Amino acid sequence: MYKCIQVAFALFLQWGLLPPVGAAAATPAADAAEKLATQVCVSCHGAGGNSISPMFPTLAAQQPLYVVAQIKAFRGQTRGEPEAHDYMLGMATLIDDATAEALAQYFAHQPAPPGTPGESVVVARGKQLYEGGVPDRGIAACASCHGVTASGMSIFPRLAGQHAAYVTKQLRAIQSKLRASPVMHGIIKDLKPDEMNALAAFVQSLD
Amino acid sequence: MSKRFARGFISCASVIAMVIAATVPRGAHAVPAYARQTGQACVACHVSFPELTPYGRNFKLSGYTIGVRQSIPLALMAQAGVTNVKNNKDDQGSAIVPKTSKLELSAASLFLAGKVNDNIGGFVQWTYGNINVNDAGAIVGHSGIDNTDIRVVGRIENDDKTDTRWLYGATLHNNPTAQDVWNSTPAFGFPFTAAPNGIGPAAATTVDGGLAQQVAGVGGYVFWNRTIYAELTGYRTADGAFSALRAGQDTHTPGGVARLKGTNPYARLAYNREWGAHSLMLGTYGLIVERYPDNTLPNTPTDRFTDVAIDGQYQYITDPHTFTVQATYIHEKQNYHASYPASLDGNPIGAGPTPENASDRLGTTKFKASYYYEHMYGSTLAYFSTRGNVDMGLYAPGSVNGSNTGSPNSTGYIVEFSYTPIQYLRLMLQYTAYTKFNGGTNNYDGSGRNARDNNTLFLNAWVAF
Repeated sequence: MYKCIQVAFALFLQWGLLPPVGAAAATPAADAAEKLATQVCVSCHGAGGNSISPMFPTLAAQQPLYVVAQIKAFRGQTRGEPEAHDYMLGMATLIDDATAEALAQYFAHQPAPPGTPGESVVVARGKQLYEGGVPDRGIAACASCHGVTASGMSIFPRLAGQHAAYVTKQLRAIQSKLRASPVMHGIIKDLKPDEMNALAAFVQSLD
Repeated sequence: MSKRFARGFISCASVIAMVIAATVPRGAHAVPAYARQTGQACVACHVSFPELTPYGRNFKLSGYTIGVRQSIPLALMAQAGVTNVKNNKDDQGSAIVPKTSKLELSAASLFLAGKVNDNIGGFVQWTYGNINVNDAGAIVGHSGIDNTDIRVVGRIENDDKTDTRWLYGATLHNNPTAQDVWNSTPAFGFPFTAAPNGIGPAAATTVDGGLAQQVAGVGGYVFWNRTIYAELTGYRTADGAFSALRAGQDTHTPGGVARLKGTNPYARLAYNREWGAHSLMLGTYGLIVERYPDNTLPNTPTDRFTDVAIDGQYQYITDPHTFTVQATYIHEKQNYHASYPASLDGNPIGAGPTPENASDRLGTTKFKASYYYEHMYGSTLAYFSTRGNVDMGLYAPGSVNGSNTGSPNSTGYIVEFSYTPIQYLRLMLQYTAYTKFNGGTNNYDGSGRNARDNNTLFLNAWVAF
């Protein structure tokens, strides 16, 4: 029995040192990013970036420029909300610029998450706000930067299918300037809590 | 002998990281200072140390290898507190346990912890206990090895490169269930810390701390699709090449340390499911141990202890609310193949107590529910109960630690409040109350002591850096 255990131990040692099966990425950075994504990021952000817990954002199909910007924001601590420091500051210091680019491409190519339906009255209100903004309070329509389908563009993130609780938390963090985002802050500084909840419910319901 | 104060806390090298991260002023560009192993805050891995979050479980199953290797992978922890026993005088008027009702250092531990490379990692804990009573009855400090777990791991991705399909590894450790990642099994189960100078019931199952820091466990595990966990481990007495795993234990006195025959199997199966902010585990574990009645005589027959257990855990982790529940039931069959015949012959083996029956049974139930607000304010309610058949040999009458009825039955509950103002300091107020102790509620020991006389209030400060 003990000899068996010794042999098994040696086998584990050998297997453990082999590279992951099926690694077929083109560049070293892409390879490192895929390994990081499937071994580390997945623990919180879910398989393929489809996060299970609303504590952690879904990254699947996210805009790559946005992902890179956030990794740099975590490193540079311009994202100052507690979770950014508690969870992501350390993670971001492990990611150099080339790996950040590769990770962003990895997540960008993952299938988009399905929407989660919400309370119809709240979602309808959110749709109204998303498409029209609140002109008399100077709140621009979200669609103008985040896209009609909320799939984002360029540096403006995809919101479709994102956890509502996470979206609301970020809106609050941006409004309070814990998260440094001057453009967003200017737009949403007068947004009310119930409006944030409605917007979050709406974007969560989108595919 | 299990070290109660040493159970419960595991610190990986990231502890240093957090302290550095918390104390270095913002805007400092010292990336190497931040680049400790994970650089993450305690809350990433722990609900409230040492209870683990889903990410924390993944970190442990990954062999503690996430992050960057540290050049000095050390961490420290210390506990100080005040213990108050409801009635600390025995029937002769003497104090039962030492150093109560005043602030005392309970224990201090040094950890060597973290990753060696992406496939090898672990931790070694060394603890100095301040309140130990030696053979002469003097209160002395004592140090020795504590929980230790060293792993080699491997991973296989799924076909579409989105997740780790198989996470597998081998572990070398020195306490059954210290290798487990759910907090429903004994080694890292509630209470995570307790008064080092409290009074505990006489009976406990073997898997419930009975072999802590006395055995070497070598095992292998797989975690498939984050859903099914299966493990097989063999335990041997930690002697010879494994002696370091029980360093500090008394191996010369009969009754000082457990001695097992050969390799003793342990198996564990768990079903894990995560959805939304919830996680759930339902599992089972078991241990069969052949133990020499006298650890200094390894040529006698052995007694056999067969433990079979079921357990479960549920966690709901959000901001700001966290709610967790753990439960386990352990059933033990004790076959006194060696001790019983020997005592019948009039030649008892071992330091005793010697059993009156050829076999006995014992069952332990534990349940605990916790609520935390903003990772800072915590409250826990726990229930425990051990029941078994009467054995006047094992549980004889005797002041404080005996049983008037020969029964091992003990039942009670624990109420705990905690406050974690900064992530490396945890303040706790814990009350342990017994409704039944060693078979009775009133005059349980035959010398007039009541179960509630052993109720213990413990105020504790736990620091980690």
